[in-house]
Amino acid sequence: MSRQMFYAVAIWLACAVPASATMAYVSNEKSNTVSVIDTDSWTVTRTIKVGQRPRGIEFTHDGKSVLVAVGDDDTIEVIDVAKQEVVDTLPSGPDPELFVQDAAGKLLYVANENDNTVTIIDIARRGRLGEVQVGVEPEGMAISPDGKILINTSETTNMAHFIDTATRQIVANVLVDARPRFAEFKRDNSELWVSAEIGGTVTVIDPVKREATGKISFAIPGLRREAIQPVGIGMTKDGKTAFVALGPANRVAVVDAMTHQVTKYLLVGQRVWHLAFTPDEKYLLTTNGVSNDVSVIDVAALKVIKTIQVGELPWGIAMAPP
Amino acid sequence: MRSRVPVAALFALLGMTGLGRAADPRYPDWPCAQAKVPEVSLAAVWAGPDLDDVANKWKDNATVSALVPRLAARRTPLDEAEKAIAEFLSDSPARKEERGKLLFAGLFETLNAQRGSVMSGLERITRKQREAADAIRAETLSMHALQDAATPDPAKIEQTGNQLLWQTRIFEDRRRVIKFVCEVPVAIDQRLFALGRIIQQGME
Repeated sequence: MSRQMFYAVAIWLACAVPASATMAYVSNEKSNTVSVIDTDSWTVTRTIKVGQRPRGIEFTHDGKSVLVAVGDDDTIEVIDVAKQEVVDTLPSGPDPELFVQDAAGKLLYVANENDNTVTIIDIARRGRLGEVQVGVEPEGMAISPDGKILINTSETTNMAHFIDTATRQIVANVLVDARPRFAEFKRDNSELWVSAEIGGTVTVIDPVKREATGKISFAIPGLRREAIQPVGIGMTKDGKTAFVALGPANRVAVVDAMTHQVTKYLLVGQRVWHLAFTPDEKYLLTTNGVSNDVSVIDVAALKVIKTIQVGELPWGIAMAPP
Repeated sequence: MRSRVPVAALFALLGMTGLGRAADPRYPDWPCAQAKVPEVSLAAVWAGPDLDDVANKWKDNATVSALVPRLAARRTPLDEAEKAIAEFLSDSPARKEERGKLLFAGLFETLNAQRGSVMSGLERITRKQREAADAIRAETLSMHALQDAATPDPAKIEQTGNQLLWQTRIFEDRRRVIKFVCEVPVAIDQRLFALGRIIQQGME
């Protein structure tokens, strides 16, 4: 082997990611990049240039692509995971922020904040299938475990809209607290949680009766109520434990998801926004917008074990499917 | 040929400063796009043990009072600060908690004070800019009067023109400085949080 060849192979080996490693993709809203984190070494292995103002970010179900909403470019970009670069775009409609895929991973539902609509996209064909008119400033998106109901939260009307995915009609509205941000179903479809950034609460909704059944509040001694702004929610697969990101309170609340009681607050980074579990649920990663880093929480120990610097204003996080 | 000061351009420049258009009506002199948060609350940066019992004691400890300004200075890289904190805490394992509390109490007080003085400086300079903008407007009008006079005085016009040039240059320089300094309170917040996190992890 020539010396050059040897070095080339050595460099390739050094850069190559072991096939078993799970990768987390973090959208950095201000630096217009996506940071790729290797969850074995907890290091950033790549920074991908994307469009303007990347926020919502998700893996496709086949794990081959990462979709990232670049709101100021009015599109969703497709990152090829193998190439680690943007290879295509989806016709998302104006100012996409958050989106969700249907149960089969074929359709994408996109909240268009400035247009009061939800755009539906066929992921494989990269084509727009239609849109649903919703409340003012749609934001949070979630799909029921059976894929039949799409939830969209509206920032101004403070509602969670229940949309029938077959008829694309709104079938119910549930009032929540001020500025709902994020919605998350329990896997057994027993509860739907909706966080309210200004209201400072998480509303628990019965998805069958389509009515609010409980409310989770947060209190941290020494912090003003308005500094506690619930945004991202992460729930374990068994539906027993939930984590709620509290924005400028710089903490993640640990919630007993059966009793709806907060059991602990973990100091993570500044302006914690969204969360994602590793596939084995051993770790939970949080994006911290002001400290420009990602915190790693050991889920069993309920301790922050690591902080990883990423780009400016980290916002969303997507974890590779197992 | 008479040189005319481009009045419209000057007024446009003054309009661009954002003076008198504060985003938050509570703080009319606050010039930054970043929201004004007058004080960092302890709970936002510290989840460790209560600091009430050490609040005023950190200055009495010679090591702590020497370490605080070094760690607080933004020219000290965070890696270096992390090493210094680890060394300081491991020096006396039995008193780790007490030492960590003293150190953070010192940093919290020092960096909050620094932040406060940067913010009041920003507001002071905004008020000065407002006065400077008024002066430039007045000077521009008198320049026009001189230029439009039936028998213009070239020496006077040149003198006023020079003065206007300098005033505008100072105004513009200050505007650039303000934009730059607006980043400082956030940089201090970030540093305080990062140092607090290192200390809390070191105390565990």
